[in-house]
Amino acid sequence: MRKHLTKILPLLLIALACDPEPVLLEQGQVIADGDHTGVYVLSEGLFNQNNSTLAWIDFGTGQPDSWASGTGRSPDCFEKVNGRRIGDTANDLLLYGNRLYIAVSESSTIEILDAATCSSLKQIPLNRNGIASQPRRITATAGFVYVCCFDGTVTRIDTLTMQADATITVGRNPDGICCANGKLYVSNSGGLDTQNPDNTVSVIDMNTFTETKRITVRSNPGSIYADGTNVYVVSRGIFDYGTMDYDSRLHRIDTKTDEVTATYNIPILNMDIVDGKAWFYGYGAGGTIQIMDLKTGQILDSDFITDGTRVECPYAIKLEPTTRKVYVCDALDYVTPGSLLCFSPEGRLLYRVQSIGINPNTVAFCDNKVTLTQYQGEPKIIGDINRVFRYMPAPGQFVNLLPKYEQGDDASSMNDKCLKALQSGNMITLGGFGGYITAGFNTTVHNLEGPDFRIDGNAYNGNAEPGVVWVSADENGNGLPDDTWYEIWGSEQKEGRATYGYGITYSKPTASDGDSPWTGSDGQTGSITHNTFHSQPYYPEWYAGESVSFTATLLPDNVTYQDGIYVMSSFGYGYVDNLPNSPENSAFDIDWAVNPDGTPAGLGSIDFIKIQNGVIGCNSTTGELSTEVSAIYNLNPKAE
Amino acid sequence: MTFDVKYCLITICTLCFQLEAQGQVLSDTMRTKDIQEVTVTSDRTTNPTSVSTTRKADTRLMQATSTLQISDVLKYFSGATVKDYGGVGGLKTVSVRGLGASHTAVAYDGIIITDNQTGQIDLGKFSGSQAESVRMVSGPDNDLLQPAALAAQAAVISISTGRPNLQDGRPKYSAQLKSGSYKTQSIQAESTFNAGLRNTVSLQGEWLKTEGNYPYTQNNGASSLEMRRDNSDVQRLRIEGAMFSDIGNNSTLTTRAYWFQSEQGLPANILYNENAARERLWNRNGFIQSTLTTAVSQRFTLRFNAKYGITYTRYLDPKVSNTQGRTDNRYTEQEGYLSAVAFYRIADCLSASFGADGRISYLDGNGAEQAQPTRYTLNSTAAIKYASERLTVTGRLNHVATKEKTRLRQAAQSYNHLSPTAGVNWLAWSAAGLHLRASFSNTFRLPTFNDLYFEQIGRRDLRPEQASVTSAGIVIDNEIGNVSYSIYADAYNSNVKDRIMAVPGKNTAVWMMKNIGQVTTHGLETGLELHAQDGTVRPALLVSYTYQRSMDKSDSNSSTWNHQLPYTPRHSASAVTWIETPYINASCNLLYSGEYFCNGYNGPEYRMPSYYEIGCSVWRTFTSHLLEVTLKAEIINLTDNRYELVRNYPMPGIQARSSVTITL
Repeated sequence: MRKHLTKILPLLLIALACDPEPVLLEQGQVIADGDHTGVYVLSEGLFNQNNSTLAWIDFGTGQPDSWASGTGRSPDCFEKVNGRRIGDTANDLLLYGNRLYIAVSESSTIEILDAATCSSLKQIPLNRNGIASQPRRITATAGFVYVCCFDGTVTRIDTLTMQADATITVGRNPDGICCANGKLYVSNSGGLDTQNPDNTVSVIDMNTFTETKRITVRSNPGSIYADGTNVYVVSRGIFDYGTMDYDSRLHRIDTKTDEVTATYNIPILNMDIVDGKAWFYGYGAGGTIQIMDLKTGQILDSDFITDGTRVECPYAIKLEPTTRKVYVCDALDYVTPGSLLCFSPEGRLLYRVQSIGINPNTVAFCDNKVTLTQYQGEPKIIGDINRVFRYMPAPGQFVNLLPKYEQGDDASSMNDKCLKALQSGNMITLGGFGGYITAGFNTTVHNLEGPDFRIDGNAYNGNAEPGVVWVSADENGNGLPDDTWYEIWGSEQKEGRATYGYGITYSKPTASDGDSPWTGSDGQTGSITHNTFHSQPYYPEWYAGESVSFTATLLPDNVTYQDGIYVMSSFGYGYVDNLPNSPENSAFDIDWAVNPDGTPAGLGSIDFIKIQNGVIGCNSTTGELSTEVSAIYNLNPKAE
Repeated sequence: MTFDVKYCLITICTLCFQLEAQGQVLSDTMRTKDIQEVTVTSDRTTNPTSVSTTRKADTRLMQATSTLQISDVLKYFSGATVKDYGGVGGLKTVSVRGLGASHTAVAYDGIIITDNQTGQIDLGKFSGSQAESVRMVSGPDNDLLQPAALAAQAAVISISTGRPNLQDGRPKYSAQLKSGSYKTQSIQAESTFNAGLRNTVSLQGEWLKTEGNYPYTQNNGASSLEMRRDNSDVQRLRIEGAMFSDIGNNSTLTTRAYWFQSEQGLPANILYNENAARERLWNRNGFIQSTLTTAVSQRFTLRFNAKYGITYTRYLDPKVSNTQGRTDNRYTEQEGYLSAVAFYRIADCLSASFGADGRISYLDGNGAEQAQPTRYTLNSTAAIKYASERLTVTGRLNHVATKEKTRLRQAAQSYNHLSPTAGVNWLAWSAAGLHLRASFSNTFRLPTFNDLYFEQIGRRDLRPEQASVTSAGIVIDNEIGNVSYSIYADAYNSNVKDRIMAVPGKNTAVWMMKNIGQVTTHGLETGLELHAQDGTVRPALLVSYTYQRSMDKSDSNSSTWNHQLPYTPRHSASAVTWIETPYINASCNLLYSGEYFCNGYNGPEYRMPSYYEIGCSVWRTFTSHLLEVTLKAEIINLTDNRYELVRNYPMPGIQARSSVTITL
């Protein structure tokens, strides 16, 4: 007996001690999907338990990043990387640009993360008069993220400044937001008045960011989806005490007329649209996934899952638009960590990731390579500069915002702000053509084989705002950049397409929201125009002069208009904010430094750097081209 | 999360607030001499002749455990699981033997206090200074004069104010001032005097105020913060008066009038980044009641109770994103109660009783969706008891019948329910003072008005929740020289069937109350007590340990199958020691709770760490021929242990209190 006990006891103990671990249904299975590197899955946790989590499933390894599994908790790459937790009831996740935006309802914050590292770039608390706004849903378009909040507001976040720059009032308790046809649509649920819910959808003009219309629908509209020129909204109606249930409908709104053009008697909880068809799950269907034709309201498939897989409580649905694989989150019983299920387009279960998080509610595909680094105490200083000697931007729409000018700031305090921004990986702007920054490395950069230093900006494909780099070595050893400067020649100088020593003078606008006219040394004129997206003055406010002049290397115009959109093409190499950040794209070689006559300068090392906007470009959608810098790295702090 | 699910969760959360927002219909009855019982006069907290597990705290134990609120001393009772939201104003409920707090009845001077809206009584609302003793019985009581409504309960916590005993008919006046950390202050005054030859009048008033803004740590890794509790202020006023009359013909009459009112903030659930607390709660509660006990003959005794009570509750959240911009719930619950018990001694050792209680309860609220239910309850009970020197056997049959009426929509069905209890206590070894005892009880709790009628969630077709407990134990109660000691151990098995829970309905977005749960608990309650009987230096020691394994047995396919009930530690323990000397009295106390879960699903996400709390106090009474002055100093949570008993509701750290009591 004793013998048996000793055998059984450890087993029992293991069984008791075993907490659910995130596992795949079949280990080592290849789960690649399209060009994606993996998926982020947001789990809201349990109401008022502070336990929202973010899981990352890497398609390369076929496994979730299970950092938290040592604690037995659901995987949470947010806590792993940031050393703190997301908060309470994270409601929505959006991957836009290279960033993740999370709406945390009960904690009333928006978290902005770098999608490639999961590192929190900014936490924006959303409050009005000290009352939590409770952000619910997120959408994004044209460089702005829009969040609808349960306190009856929509807040706009500038993705570049990462600041909530405007808030407008809509109907009661908005519970859904989407954008279509240049407009925002917000469903006003009014759900906090159970007997008298709201019954409208707000239409918001994105350019003026004002509400232009309210479309009347059935009571209690909730989830809202855009599909081309149509918007679909689920209206749940008023609770019926006869059936003890809601009586839900789906409305179709034509965004050309902003009228309800069809109403389907299909009770939908959530759906995802691809090619005019909706994959959805509804009320009372016991977890059945169905497919409907949104044009006709006809059910095309009343049970999408063909292999008998049971979804206890579907909580999110997301299609990969090209491969048509269907991702479904199962919340199980709302308290147990739920699962992510991936189905083939034919409805066969491909794999299941268990214990992904409590109440998983959003799936986002990621195309970046994701590297998750465990939090190591206080945020370390990013980059390798420790001095900013001069920051002199030309007028531009982010000037006085990146970094932020505050009453009383002078050139010296703006330098400090720039240094702080660059050391924490935050963006600074150089404004229009000629604007520049001069900074010093904390240790000498040695000229070794291959790249020697790296400068990050915010370029992505079709949005290059190239800046020219100058370098200097501390020849006299006084620690000041009063030595010879050498220009780094990139592809355009090399190919003879640049104009050297181009002079430009900007005049201070007469009104704070006025345009800044400029005159070039060749007589060309133009203007940095004030737009509706950024309302602050564009002329550097700490600069006393009535006009400001720059001399710089002018690169060719890189703006073209193609198929209705402006494209700002990248140059070959050798510029800041020219290509998406990467070890290759952002790298510079000291060997590229030249004497004024274009001959190699032959520098052994450098200590100072100057970055200057090299393009005079402008387009009517996003305004003038301005070089942005976020970090500067010394790749060779040691001489071999 | 879909809106509806969230709304339901918010509603459930609101329900929780309304637990806090409950009002108590305090009731009271006269306490006559325990005619039927051998009065146990020892210091012991356990009664060796009881058929069930009993615990009793007298004023000394309440002194030694620094009891500000009744709930403080209950934490030292083995078998009582106190759920505490922290601070003076935080809701405090007690559940016994894994049955859930609504199976624990609270009686004030022998009459049940009901809250039909939530079914739970906040034991934090009773001040330690208003009770002469607090007694907890987990199972059938030996007392045959117990009213029918109390007899049908799984566990009863009885708060007794005591009958004043004036020596030489001299009036007695006393006043107490208390002051403590976080601006806690209280004043209490009492006077007792004779009015005529046959009446004694007692008047008591108490006022308490606290800011309660104690510091706490919000743990969030790198973003952990030191914060202070906000909106945690409490103000309370209690006035009561009682008249104890000897009206001749072997009859006594007690009449009590009671008034309680309070205003308090509700400190928030501490969420990351968002801690704003604004909610306010007001309570007003008044009642008047009478108990008449008459010994018709040597063998025949009658007791009548009558009561009318009214409770007003207002819950306000001044900032809500609805049309009104606020949530302002007001509820008034009224209750009329009549009870009669007839006791007859059939033979020397054999007695029987029959009792019947009628009650009308009415709940009114200000929302459009208020069902405004009226419940008519008729409890009846028949009991028989055999009590010899060594053997006590009791048997009881309880019956309840209810009928409900509502203003809005259909009313809940009527209930008709029979439930038996039985118990035995045998002095097995007289010389050692060794008793063996066993009991069985089958009890129930009615669905609350919230269970039945709360908007969207409430369901009219609920059945009563049923509880059955089988318990067996041993008590040794003896003396060695100057030291009396008792050791007890009771093992039990309890079952709750048809447990009422909020679950997702057919439409998963619509939650509803349902008789779905089943819980089985195996437990052990054990303890040791030592008291020095006399001498100038008298030490005492009380140690207790509780084991509770409460398993969810609702659905073998569910993820929570066999998981431990939330907020129910498997292991918990307490110790109190004090010493009385002619110079000074001192006490030390310790509470320990093993780890537990804050959710029915015992996942690591919901694990709550174990905690302990240590306190101590010193006091001394100075006596002159004119007056008596007691000075006391207390330190609570000496080690400044920061913990949460309820997830995201931090408990206070170290606190100090001092008091002065003057008696004329």
